[in-house]
Amino acid sequence: MAMTRKFPGPSKLLGSPFAWLFALFSVAVAVWMLLTSLKSTRAIFAEPWSLPTTPQWDNYARAWTASDFAGATLNTVILVFGTAVATIALSAPAAYALSRILTRWNSGITAFFALGLGIPSQVIILPLYVMMNELYLVDSLTGLWILYVATSMPFTVFFLTGFFGSLPKELEEAAALDGASANRTFWQIMLPLARSGIITAMILNIIQHWGETLFGLVFLQSEEKATLSLALLGFLQRMQYNGADWGGLFAGVCTVVLPVLACYIWLGRRIIEGMTLGSVK
Amino acid sequence: MTATAVRETEPAQRQPAVPAAQSSPLARGRKRLFWPFIAPALVLYVVFYILPTLATAWISLNKWAGAGPMEFAGLDNYRRLLLDPVFQGSFANTLTILFAVGGATFALSFLLTMILRDMAGRKAVRAIIFFPNIISGIVLSILWGFLFQAEGVVNQALRTFGMDNPPNWLGTENLFSVIMIGLVWVQTGFFTTILMAAVDRIPKDLYEVCDLEGANAWQRFRHVTLPLMWDVVGVCAVLWSISAIKIFEFIYAFAGAAGQLPPTKVWNTALYAYAEAFASGVPKYGSAAATGMVMLALVGVLVVLLRRMFRRDTVQF
Repeated sequence: MAMTRKFPGPSKLLGSPFAWLFALFSVAVAVWMLLTSLKSTRAIFAEPWSLPTTPQWDNYARAWTASDFAGATLNTVILVFGTAVATIALSAPAAYALSRILTRWNSGITAFFALGLGIPSQVIILPLYVMMNELYLVDSLTGLWILYVATSMPFTVFFLTGFFGSLPKELEEAAALDGASANRTFWQIMLPLARSGIITAMILNIIQHWGETLFGLVFLQSEEKATLSLALLGFLQRMQYNGADWGGLFAGVCTVVLPVLACYIWLGRRIIEGMTLGSVK
Repeated sequence: MTATAVRETEPAQRQPAVPAAQSSPLARGRKRLFWPFIAPALVLYVVFYILPTLATAWISLNKWAGAGPMEFAGLDNYRRLLLDPVFQGSFANTLTILFAVGGATFALSFLLTMILRDMAGRKAVRAIIFFPNIISGIVLSILWGFLFQAEGVVNQALRTFGMDNPPNWLGTENLFSVIMIGLVWVQTGFFTTILMAAVDRIPKDLYEVCDLEGANAWQRFRHVTLPLMWDVVGVCAVLWSISAIKIFEFIYAFAGAAGQLPPTKVWNTALYAYAEAFASGVPKYGSAAATGMVMLALVGVLVVLLRRMFRRDTVQF
């Protein structure tokens, strides 16, 4: 088929429209989500395709006050940033040691951390529940924070070990020759050097916990401690008694999605590479 | 959103310890830091990951309601699972997701990878189709379910195309198919992105040779692209298996229409484990733990099988 070089072949002719259609579908879902969040429930079903005639900002007011998405957003923000900071504080030194301080334990411990990547949360959640219950840390955001940090260890340590391993050694050696202690070398040379990897690890961690549901569902009970995904589930549940309030629900959905979308538009390439590059290397 | 990057070689192994360096005071000073640096992460990981896994293995051999006395039951929990039609259905659904959704996702990802290889706007398309991956499963599930409501967008579209009685998508008979299609929609972007990165590494001149030899698109894919990205396909298959078995939120939130949990017909093992422990009258920790162990065993078997299947001399280029 030497022709393919002069004329676009059938695969190309059909191919790119297909790829664009696939992408446009996702865009359409996002746009339609935004529009729906500004419509009255009646308009959502009567004219699903049309623009909202008068934007119903009231949907957001209802979601934020009556269903307390405001409180849930605050809980989630504190929880998620607290988790990311603590996760990095604990896993960056470990990853540095695993990639740069050579002992006979390194490869064993690295593999041991990697093992955790294959263990589904459903496997560990029962003993964790019993344990947290004993410690009075069920229905507590502190308890959930500890769990989030602990369960972030395998991926973050593994991710950062690879990253520290790829950094040049020379600066570290120079610092050591200048008399900096190993501890100081880590904090003042390596950590700033690894900044981009650490930021990527933090972003991935934040995104992962922003919509986390299983642990929140199991470990939180009271409504004032709900995270965003629990607030959404609660909203869904209430709709069965109070009648459908799809406008309010979508205002809640947008509250969850829009910060992630903003983050993605700003840091998209970094997020994509962080989540996928390791598989190709 | 539980993507994990599996590297084939541990970075630590790349640099063999230099014996001479070990004796220098510098190296000794660094060595002293090894355990203090690793201990916090390691302790947390062992206490909250490894010990609970072992505890679950033990609980699965007992009859236990989460509190009060534990009663040793041997393999009773596993036997009960085998006989429980709901578990059978859930296990079948997990396998269906693994193979049917996996197969469709991989086929679509390969197709998109080939299309996007030399298409204008590939970066934009990639960025868009990747996005659902970083959105919470609950949100995706709500959006997806809403599209398929009786008066929803999908049915309205079908009606304008002249279908008077569109199917009841969210009825028990169709719900699982709707869920599976949704999963394909969400996952395709992720695997397409990885495969695209693998394809980009393949030198262009190999394709020029193909053109000179008169190879068609399929031959090019079969004899050049696929062999050169084989190891990455293997990694993708492992990543998919691990994440497919964990899928929970996307199915769970379809309960929105029917109370606490979605109909048992659409459960997978992850939902079954959750329901047994936290959503049934008397918590059945024993069988929930046994379900967890079945999931873990499935992950283990698949990872071993896949690694064996994809273990092949990697083509150097």
